[in-house]
Amino acid sequence: MAFVQNFPFFCIILTLFSGPLSSILSGKAARRLNLMVITLVGAMNTAVLAFVLKNGTYYVYKMGHFPAPWGNEIRVGVLEAVMAVFFCLIMLLSMLGGMREREQEIEESKQNLYYIMVNLLLSSLLALVYTNDLFTAYVFVEINTISACGLIMIKQNGRTIVAATRYMIMSLLGSGMLLLGICFLYGITGQLLMSNIQESVSKIHLSGVYDTPLIVALGLMSVGLAVKSALFPFHGWLPDAYGYSTVSSAAILSSLVSKGYIFLLLKIFYRVVGFGIVRESKVIHVLFVFGILGMIIGSVDAIRANSIRRMIAYSSVAQIGYIYMGFGLGTTAGVLASVFHIISHAAAKSLLFVSASGITDASGDSTDFFDLTGAGYRNKVAGVAFTAGALSMVGFPMFSGFISKIMFAQAAVGHAHKMLPTLIALAISTILNTVYFLKTVIRIYTPARREEAKEKQYQTITMRQQPAKAAALICFIILNLILGLFSQPIVNWLEQGLRMFA
Amino acid sequence: MNMWIFLPVLLPAVAGITLLAASFRGHLAGKADGESTQARRTLHTFTAAVLVLTAVLALLAAWSGEHEVTLFYLMEDIPVYFHIDAVGRLFVTVVSIVWLCVGFYSFTYMEHEGEEKRFFGFFLLVYAVLIALDFSGNLVTMYLFYELMTLCSMPLVLHNGSREAIMAALKYLFYSMCGAYLGLFGIFCLYHYCDTLAFTAGGTLNNAAASGHTGLLLVAVFAMLIGFGAKAGMFPLHAWLPAAHPVAPSPASAALSGIIVKSGVLAVIRVVFYIAGPDLIRGTWVQTVWMTLTLITIFMGSLLAFREPVFKKRLAYSTVSQVSYILFGLSVLQPEAMGGALLHVVFHAFIKCALFLTAGVFIFKYGKTRVEELDGIGKRLPKTLWCYTFASLALIGIPPTSGFISKWHLAEGALAAPVGIFRYLGPVVLLISALLTAGYLLPVTVRGFLPGRDWQTEHRAETIPEKEPVGMLVPLLVLAALAVLLGLFPNPVISYVTDLAATLL
Amino acid sequence: MDPIILAVAVLLPVFGGALIPLLPFRSRRQMLIYIEAVVLLNTVLVLTALLNRPADGFVLFHLNGKLSISFQLDGLGTVFAAIVSLLWPLATLYAFEYMTHEGHEKYFFMFYTITYGITLGIAFAEDIVTMYCFYEMLTLVTLPLILHTLSREAILAGRTYLYYSLGGAAFAFIGMIFILNYGSTADFTPGGVLMLAKVGDSQDLLLLIYVLCFLGFSVKAAMFPFGGWLPKAGVAPTPVTALLHAVAVVKAGAFTLMRITYYSFGVSFLRGTWAQTVVMVFVLITIVYGCSRALKETHLKRRLAYSTMSNLSYILFGVVLMSPLGLTGALCHMIFHAVMKICSFFCAGAVIYKSGRNYIHELDGMGRKMPKVFGAFTVSAFALMGVPGLCGFISKWNLAKAAVENPHPLAIFGVAALLISALLTAIYMLTIVVRAFFPGKDFDYHTLDGITDPTWKMLLPLGIFVVLMVLFGLHSAPIVSALSKLAAAAV
Repeated sequence: MAFVQNFPFFCIILTLFSGPLSSILSGKAARRLNLMVITLVGAMNTAVLAFVLKNGTYYVYKMGHFPAPWGNEIRVGVLEAVMAVFFCLIMLLSMLGGMREREQEIEESKQNLYYIMVNLLLSSLLALVYTNDLFTAYVFVEINTISACGLIMIKQNGRTIVAATRYMIMSLLGSGMLLLGICFLYGITGQLLMSNIQESVSKIHLSGVYDTPLIVALGLMSVGLAVKSALFPFHGWLPDAYGYSTVSSAAILSSLVSKGYIFLLLKIFYRVVGFGIVRESKVIHVLFVFGILGMIIGSVDAIRANSIRRMIAYSSVAQIGYIYMGFGLGTTAGVLASVFHIISHAAAKSLLFVSASGITDASGDSTDFFDLTGAGYRNKVAGVAFTAGALSMVGFPMFSGFISKIMFAQAAVGHAHKMLPTLIALAISTILNTVYFLKTVIRIYTPARREEAKEKQYQTITMRQQPAKAAALICFIILNLILGLFSQPIVNWLEQGLRMFA
Repeated sequence: MNMWIFLPVLLPAVAGITLLAASFRGHLAGKADGESTQARRTLHTFTAAVLVLTAVLALLAAWSGEHEVTLFYLMEDIPVYFHIDAVGRLFVTVVSIVWLCVGFYSFTYMEHEGEEKRFFGFFLLVYAVLIALDFSGNLVTMYLFYELMTLCSMPLVLHNGSREAIMAALKYLFYSMCGAYLGLFGIFCLYHYCDTLAFTAGGTLNNAAASGHTGLLLVAVFAMLIGFGAKAGMFPLHAWLPAAHPVAPSPASAALSGIIVKSGVLAVIRVVFYIAGPDLIRGTWVQTVWMTLTLITIFMGSLLAFREPVFKKRLAYSTVSQVSYILFGLSVLQPEAMGGALLHVVFHAFIKCALFLTAGVFIFKYGKTRVEELDGIGKRLPKTLWCYTFASLALIGIPPTSGFISKWHLAEGALAAPVGIFRYLGPVVLLISALLTAGYLLPVTVRGFLPGRDWQTEHRAETIPEKEPVGMLVPLLVLAALAVLLGLFPNPVISYVTDLAATLL
Repeated sequence: MDPIILAVAVLLPVFGGALIPLLPFRSRRQMLIYIEAVVLLNTVLVLTALLNRPADGFVLFHLNGKLSISFQLDGLGTVFAAIVSLLWPLATLYAFEYMTHEGHEKYFFMFYTITYGITLGIAFAEDIVTMYCFYEMLTLVTLPLILHTLSREAILAGRTYLYYSLGGAAFAFIGMIFILNYGSTADFTPGGVLMLAKVGDSQDLLLLIYVLCFLGFSVKAAMFPFGGWLPKAGVAPTPVTALLHAVAVVKAGAFTLMRITYYSFGVSFLRGTWAQTVVMVFVLITIVYGCSRALKETHLKRRLAYSTMSNLSYILFGVVLMSPLGLTGALCHMIFHAVMKICSFFCAGAVIYKSGRNYIHELDGMGRKMPKVFGAFTVSAFALMGVPGLCGFISKWNLAKAAVENPHPLAIFGVAALLISALLTAIYMLTIVVRAFFPGKDFDYHTLDGITDPTWKMLLPLGIFVVLMVLFGLHSAPIVSALSKLAAAAV
């Protein structure tokens, strides 16, 4: 057993324990520690990725060398490793990008609390990605929820507290359903390890005895995770939570937390129930329909939104819709597209959140559209970054969004019933995205009238003033471009990963 | 090489463009409109020389045998091709005579209109285009010059630059364009179903290609009839004539009425007898509708002329009616009627020209435009009014004037043609229209010479004969004389057109 | 010739343009020389490539798996590239004088020059993906040109343009996906790439997709009801409306439609189907609609824009006839309309530049003050009307010829539509000409004092265009025969 194989476990532990460690450090030291941990974890995951790529197969890591059913397992394949690396990367850039806001908006005494939460969050995400045990997954889902709540309400104003409460309620509802589903499965199969459950499930399915409970369990878990990842119509909590929390929280929440749940759902589909059974069930049709509705309605809401942050938040609803639509197609190609979209959306959405904060900085901290007039000239990097993010969201060639759009569309072609709805939804959604994102781009590049600029005391922000944010933004843009221009290796990894997954 | 036959086209074209350029340069230099007598004399000499030379050349080209020239290829299979044949010869002769008369008349007349350089520039240009149009040897070449004719003659209409004139000119332009495009539609269709677009007596329809597409071809020919008929003032696209004539300078109206409307007739002849072939439309709905339309136009034109108080407008309506005589003669597709139609082309050109030139004299001398103002005019301008009277008689068709000859042939032909009810309807309408013609033309003579006792006592000063401008009177006399004399000695013309009609039908 | 020249021709203006705001020019003159040099150099490059056509394609890079950005040069691309590369230096020259009164020149010329490269990218695209990518980019780089004045009107126009274009592209995207899946290759191949065995029962579906794709790409070609952006975009500076909204952008739309119809879906698959009927109905409506709107319009540039709309649909009409003759007519009109419309737009621009007059009723008597400009305008008006002897007639003739021989029952109505549109064109163009030269008897020319013809930078392009219009009109045989050969190969 190679030493590298221990890394996933180390990562989870390291992040888990760096949390408590941060609590005794000062804010600044906690920040440094946090950044270091994320970087280190990212590096370790990269090593793991390299390892599994080289090996060409997944491996199972038994914790404490206990065999099932008592032991706990980690299962690492290419897909998991790619996700983990990606999560670390996005998180690092989001933390960098939102640094200044964090320090301004969060009380001095609570600074290190924030880093605890972030570390916990990362640890739970990694655990969700790597674990092979359904119950462990549930535990980390809860940890994830709690830390996410913390991230939302740590910027203390009335709205975030309300938002966090709503988030908490919805999330716990989702967790409850997930737990119920897990219990059902446990009841039917008597197993908790994913691979074992799948063996029993396929036997049960063949015998046809527990078909209904199986579907119910599947439905409960799907809906539970859908609630948590804000699939339409369970998205009511999302705009407030993303719209009012501090920037790095919003970026992390939208691009990582919801994605963690989606990844877990994917895992349940493939590794717990088995994709064949999922495909036969009606659940994916439901996901498909709500995915498409989410795409359209999320965008419509985004058009009606009155602040840039809320607009981006609503756009997340639409993008989550894309991902569920991909699952709903029920083909490997569809799932592959969804997985790629998880990555591409994460890259674009966090870019948008961070650049939006740069834009609002230059507009007297107002998120109102009217005040953003001409902000692209006052904060050049943020303007360019926002434009890039917007183009990626619209699915403009050269950016990551285009590739995922193509993958969705290609996955849909040839599907008997779902092809036309998918293609038309994609087209309409593109148009709607164009309407709200590029309208904003034009807005920020429309020069403000001089009197107004003076009256509102807009300030110009150069790269020097916010080096961390500028660096983060540039990295994000490059990330988006790489995903758009040289997507082939990543798609290949994902494909390989999906094969290992099943 | 036969290239010299282009001289009569090139010469007036170059001269016209030179004059236009000179006119424009004058404007740019900001010179006042009024020219010195010296400059005017030079201009007139120049124009006269060009006119005479061109006329001589044109007649030479026309009467020295059949010439054919392919200038160059507009498209791969569409040459710009000239071919002087019998019809072209006839038209060129008429055009040249009228143009000479009108040109000499204008030297005096245009003095009070101003902008002479521009006028003569366009006047010469139109002459060039008309000659080219008459010489054209295929449909596309003809269409080319047909469009150019519209564009070049439009400035003649709006010459005086008043709001009214400009609107009338635009109306003229758009009606003509509308007609031309209808014609073009036909050309597009015929091109596909004909062997060639070169004019060939009897038509060039490719029966193999056309079989099964007769419906489309009939629509195409019908579109061309309506379209080119617009220039000839055929109902329903006749409305530009009464609008354009009153505002144009009288020589321009004379040229329009005498010649340019005839170009529409020429185009119709070319289409029906040289491309589509009379056999295609004989006995079909196209012929029926065509005849109906011409008869409607004849009757309506006369009636409107009868009710019209503005003198030139009355003459314009008269043109509407008279040109449809020609079209009716063509539409019955019978050799004798066709001969009558061609005769009427010649006669009506001279007659109507004379009438408009008379109207011009009245305007030039006294600025009188309405019929009721012309009471007693014969006391002051007896020679002019005599010319008018003779021309009127010719138009009405009183023997032995020329109009009688052509109408006789038209009626004869119609009666002999196998066209059902139209055999009788046609001559009846012609007769009614002739009566109406008398009704709208003769009162001017009658009241002009015999204004009544009351009038004479009121306008004693206006009863003395005045000096009539020689420059205008001479062309007028020539035309009126032609109108009468051709009726007395019609044989050469009749034999020419009879031969021509016989080759076509 | 090495195919890399194609990539160079695309990238040179893109980078050359992007450098404009970064380079430290000491004077405006220096900048202009630099720009014209880049543009001319690129034109020379393109012409070299056109004359020694590279046999192979050139792959710039792979997007993913099947998808790559790659260039090649075939007959159709040659035509479009030739139009673009010949007009660009002239338009740039014109812009030098015109832009003195618009300001923000650096950014203007940056995007203007970049657009050159992107347009060539469309012309050179080897496959549908490359074409789609450049099509999208074209939208993006031309947007700042429309927004240029940043007035409220300009921003609204820019938004409309953006929504229409990207919306259209979203539907065109569907077509692209289908070609990727049902085609044997994504590359443009004469006769189409659909694998009929794979199509099987889903023929109707594919036809539906074709219609969607056609409508999507037709946004750039300003087809009714998606052409609303074009007249609005008239707020852009005239070099943009003239070159981009009469030639580059809108012709790119028409060009993409030719590509998908003849080179992707293939006419043998489409001919005689309901899809052909549907698109033809749209095209015919546009031909008449554009003209009638032009007639009602009182703003000079907007009137010309509506005229463009209708004339573009002439091209599309040729395209949807789906026969070699139709494509010949379409290509012919693509070339000739480019010359005619850019000429009339340049005249309009010269008027705006010299007198600031935008509306048609303000043009009274201008013909006498700006004789050269209005002379050119008159010639272009005659050409647009289709007066024989000028180039408009030739393309109209070819289109009509194609329509009459076409078995499709609607084709003959196309001829009718062409002629109705010609009549309306005569009305809306000649009213301007008559107004300019014959303002009426008592017009006071002193109100126009100080207005004169512009300098040679503006007049030179106009002169060239007038000569071209006459030349093409009188001697079109070589061009038409070359185009018909090309079209025959594409079907």
